[in-house]
Amino acid sequence: MNRQSHTPPSRRNAGTTRRTFNTGLAAAASLLAAPAIVRAQGGPLKVGVLLPRSGAQASIGQDCQRGVDVAGPILKSLGLPDLQIMNADTETNVEVARARAEKLVNDGAQLLVGAFDSGQTTAIAQVAEQKGIPLVINIAAAPPITEQGYKFVFRNFPTAPMILGDAFNNQKEIFAATGATPKTVVFMHVNDTFGTAMSKAVPGLMPKFQMPYKIVETISYDPTARDLSVEVSKAKATGAEALMMVSRLNDAILITRELVKQRWSPMGVLSMGPGWYEDQYLKTLGRLSDGPISLVPWYDPNKKLSKQLEAALAKQFPGINLNTNHIYTFEAVLVAADAFRRAKSTDPKALAEAIRTTNITENVSTGPGIRFDAKGQNVQLKNSAIQNRGGKLVTVAPKAASNAKPEFPMVAYDKRR
Amino acid sequence: MMKRLLHGVPLHATVLLALLLAALVVAPAFANDYLLTVLIVILYFAYTGQAWNVMMGFAGQLSLGHALYVGLGAYTTAALYVHFGIGPWIGMPMAILISVACGAIIGFLAFRFGVGGVYFAILTIAFAEFARIGFDHFSWVGGSAGFFLPVANYSHDDLMNLRGRPAMFYYVILALTAVAFLLCHALMRSRVGYFWQAIREDEEAARSLGIDTFRYKMYAILISSGMTAPAGVFFAFYYNNLFPEQTFFILRSIEIILGPIIGGVGTLFGPIIGAFLITGLAEVLQELLTWYGFDPPGAKRVFYGLCLLVVVMILPHGVWPPLSRLLRVDRETERTGDKAEP
Repeated sequence: MNRQSHTPPSRRNAGTTRRTFNTGLAAAASLLAAPAIVRAQGGPLKVGVLLPRSGAQASIGQDCQRGVDVAGPILKSLGLPDLQIMNADTETNVEVARARAEKLVNDGAQLLVGAFDSGQTTAIAQVAEQKGIPLVINIAAAPPITEQGYKFVFRNFPTAPMILGDAFNNQKEIFAATGATPKTVVFMHVNDTFGTAMSKAVPGLMPKFQMPYKIVETISYDPTARDLSVEVSKAKATGAEALMMVSRLNDAILITRELVKQRWSPMGVLSMGPGWYEDQYLKTLGRLSDGPISLVPWYDPNKKLSKQLEAALAKQFPGINLNTNHIYTFEAVLVAADAFRRAKSTDPKALAEAIRTTNITENVSTGPGIRFDAKGQNVQLKNSAIQNRGGKLVTVAPKAASNAKPEFPMVAYDKRR
Repeated sequence: MMKRLLHGVPLHATVLLALLLAALVVAPAFANDYLLTVLIVILYFAYTGQAWNVMMGFAGQLSLGHALYVGLGAYTTAALYVHFGIGPWIGMPMAILISVACGAIIGFLAFRFGVGGVYFAILTIAFAEFARIGFDHFSWVGGSAGFFLPVANYSHDDLMNLRGRPAMFYYVILALTAVAFLLCHALMRSRVGYFWQAIREDEEAARSLGIDTFRYKMYAILISSGMTAPAGVFFAFYYNNLFPEQTFFILRSIEIILGPIIGGVGTLFGPIIGAFLITGLAEVLQELLTWYGFDPPGAKRVFYGLCLLVVVMILPHGVWPPLSRLLRVDRETERTGDKAEP
């Protein structure tokens, strides 16, 4: 764990001598054996941030961390109080996530934020509930997390059904706005946990949302495959008008290259997952990256705070576009600071009460703002449709949160200059 | 029985063991919840490492898919609890039965048809992967979306349903580890244990001496898989969520074997020492780094790698054999070998 305050800690980068090493060793031992929870009663709110910054989810965890790293000056500009950030790495592991949460609480964390993954978040939620420390979930979509009757767990992220529902609604809005509606789609998805879950949910929900197209074929593939030419030719052979995707980054790049090589330009690529909007996709493919539409939890580019966050990120991390990971992790910290301001206390129970009555309208994510229902879920959240345009991302739906009109059908690959 | 168990064990080794057990029993009275959580993780890996050790350490059969038995134990009892309200202790025999059945299939396929060494290891990985993919599509237990056990803020401990505070879980895993230790101690010194060791050292030679190697290797996999299943029960009820991707993944199997490898494969204390070293020292390392203002993600994984490097290069038989000689707790009769044991 690392304590990172908006005022730099005095011990950071101090020279190491044998004496300080021994002191550190003794301190580490005493920290491990400290018999009671130490909670600061005054000063800044201590926020424990738990993210998978190493292991399988390392890149995402580190990306989420950027949302915390840029938060300080923005919160200050909003007149919100100072926070003392205590970082912890969950190592993409449920056991470690729980142990790190216990450690943060033991070290005096008065509020927890995390942890990207549903399994790790569930383990942390139990610690939060047992200790009576509020947990603000940044990203985790499994519905059961807020169905357990927890009193200290709050989630400012859409659940899986919310994400899918909005994805269908936004597609219909795009079709209506452009007057172009595909009648058939081929559904390609990765065969990992996420892709498999989506492959089951999508066909099941389509009738409920009265989607205008039908899935003519479903093709699953390994996300680590080095060659997807067979899958793409199979998809092309179906004669489907559009391509619906649930993919990861590398396979999204491979599929795009195959689309170009096999001279197949569908009306559009409708992605319900990562890959197609990621920085690496845009950088690797250049003008070939233009066109795909991703239906994801996103931000409203018209909101003042979005512009502020975008600028702060560009300044601190040049070359990195604002994305879901930054947005929702930043908003979790925003919820913490807002609750602290209203509670006027670092007492976890007072903080939980304050979070329960959160009503933030000046936020970043799409939707009217941040409010939690009785279960601790922000049900007001909306998702967006974003389109790759000239190496950038523009929001094309919902209209209220858009900054560009959708281009659908997308420009054929062989007609791009 | 105690006399038989302690036969040949030096007196001060018995005293040291009793002191260690006493320290672990009273730990919750002094440790905060964080330390308790770390101890739970240590004991969990000590237990699963002990179960794996029966196969690899005693009988010489390398399994890289023990996460399969953890997962089967976890999913069986969790499903019985969620769907039928059957408590974990009643569900545990069923979990063990299913794990043993699965172990029997793998063992029969491998040992009956002469699949050994690295090919056997691959077979165990393959079965764990089959299970992962299968459970990804098994919607009765949540499929890939995960299986969640209902939880609440428990003010008292319900041991029958394994619902409660960390201290209760600590004593449960401590008891499991102690039982596994005693069981392995008894097995190691039994006729079966000696046959296993003969198979481990030279299977051809063991067969030429009349040992039915197929039967005894089957015993090893049945006992090891059956022993591993309760760890899954514990995992399910302690963490309260199961995802096939995380439960059956090969990395979970690797985590299980790290402790015994570092501590000493084929020794009784190896899995315990190894679990303490890799989890306990890694936590101290993390604290030290934090104290000095460093925050490198994945530092612990680098530490695991270094531990393995040291063990492979300097202590190929693990930490326990030289440590036992240093503490003079190895058996008189076994002091000449590297696989010294109290």
